[in-house]
Amino acid sequence: MPTVAADPGPFTFDPATTALLVIDMQRDFLLPGGFGESLGNDVGLLRRTIEPLAALLTAWRAAGLTVIHTREGHLPDLSDCPPAKLRRGPMIGQAGRFGRILIRGEYGHDIVDELAPVAGEAVVDKPGKGAFHGTDLQALLGGADRLIVTGVTTEVCVHTTVREANDRGYECLVLSDCVGSYFPEFQRVGLQMIAAQGGIFGWVAESPALIKEIAR
Amino acid sequence: MPTIGSVHADPYPWPYDGTVPVSRTALICIDWQTDFCGPGGYVDAMGYDLTLTRAGLPATAKLLQHVRDLGMLVIHTREGHAPDLSDLPANKRWRSARIGAEIGGPGPCGRILIKGEPGWEIVPEVAPEPGEVIIDKPGKGAFYATGLDLVLRTHGITHLILTGITTDVCVHTTMREANDRGYECLILSDCTGATDPGNHAAALHMVTMQGGVFGCVATSDDVIAATEA
Repeated sequence: MPTVAADPGPFTFDPATTALLVIDMQRDFLLPGGFGESLGNDVGLLRRTIEPLAALLTAWRAAGLTVIHTREGHLPDLSDCPPAKLRRGPMIGQAGRFGRILIRGEYGHDIVDELAPVAGEAVVDKPGKGAFHGTDLQALLGGADRLIVTGVTTEVCVHTTVREANDRGYECLVLSDCVGSYFPEFQRVGLQMIAAQGGIFGWVAESPALIKEIAR
Repeated sequence: MPTIGSVHADPYPWPYDGTVPVSRTALICIDWQTDFCGPGGYVDAMGYDLTLTRAGLPATAKLLQHVRDLGMLVIHTREGHAPDLSDLPANKRWRSARIGAEIGGPGPCGRILIKGEPGWEIVPEVAPEPGEVIIDKPGKGAFYATGLDLVLRTHGITHLILTGITTDVCVHTTMREANDRGYECLILSDCTGATDPGNHAAALHMVTMQGGVFGCVATSDDVIAATEA
């Protein structure tokens, strides 16, 4: 059984029952000139994940393993956006440089070219931060019992999804070089919280160690 | 009808929609259990500094009395598992054993995190009163695999005030679940706590980013000052 050196201890997995989850690698969050940058964020802090994630996807696909992508966004009429979310994020649905912000079907809502899904890979559209609430993710995962978690941002959508997954009994390995935050402090403490108390939410490792295992 | 509104909070005066009736607001008290914060509980027995998880108890007890007087819905949660461990995910058991506190194993206050054991009960300082809702949960989040959402919707609740332990684990997971479900949330810095003070501070800070990505942070005094009978 493949085993990756991780914090707080070795992470062992059966590739046949392990899915790679790529969370919200969307143009609105990652492209220079996009929504994320317009809020004053340095998108470079998120873009550092693209290269390692592309390498991981290549290896994961070559091994014929499961990949699931997620996108945060809403219906064009915003009927699935809770009022409390819209009031705090009034830019949702407004015109942005890459189309209406966080609206399904818009250019900015889709995944960056480098990590575009290929035929056969599921794409889960989610209205919230967590990828389980209000989606078919659990059904799509079928018999998978382990998740390799990547994407953005570490302390928001990645963390919420890992917490949901953990309560549902999935084992999560979060890859520190494949998750990113606009805030370095939250990147650090977000990863620390996952592995704390004997791995209260899961494990943390880096992608090269995982790639090496699946390329065997 | 008592109201709550314009609570002095970070990053905006809570709630987003001005002033709401207390009847649409619930106080959620998360996992104030002996095993987590009581003398002789398993967190105590493991050698953690108990003052950190107990820090929020006096303020929570005071706030509880205040909101009870106003007639606000109070909901308590308890993390725990069935005695036969049938609702305990294998990885959760394995990880708890690895750090020397196996769920279901013998602890200083009965079997650790098992329903009905003394250590699983809520500490007396913030004990539920008759008629208050108690939600038993198998995970960190209070929504997953529980009736919490149904209870809240049945009562017409749209706004949540969160207290409990630990800030970065069960309180945060519950707040994130509530936020995705459209509830307007307020977490109280003086009514929460964590085994690691750094994680407590970071968890509160995370809430306030991006215009309040999960809601707002305030203190219990801010809430008390913003309620009108």
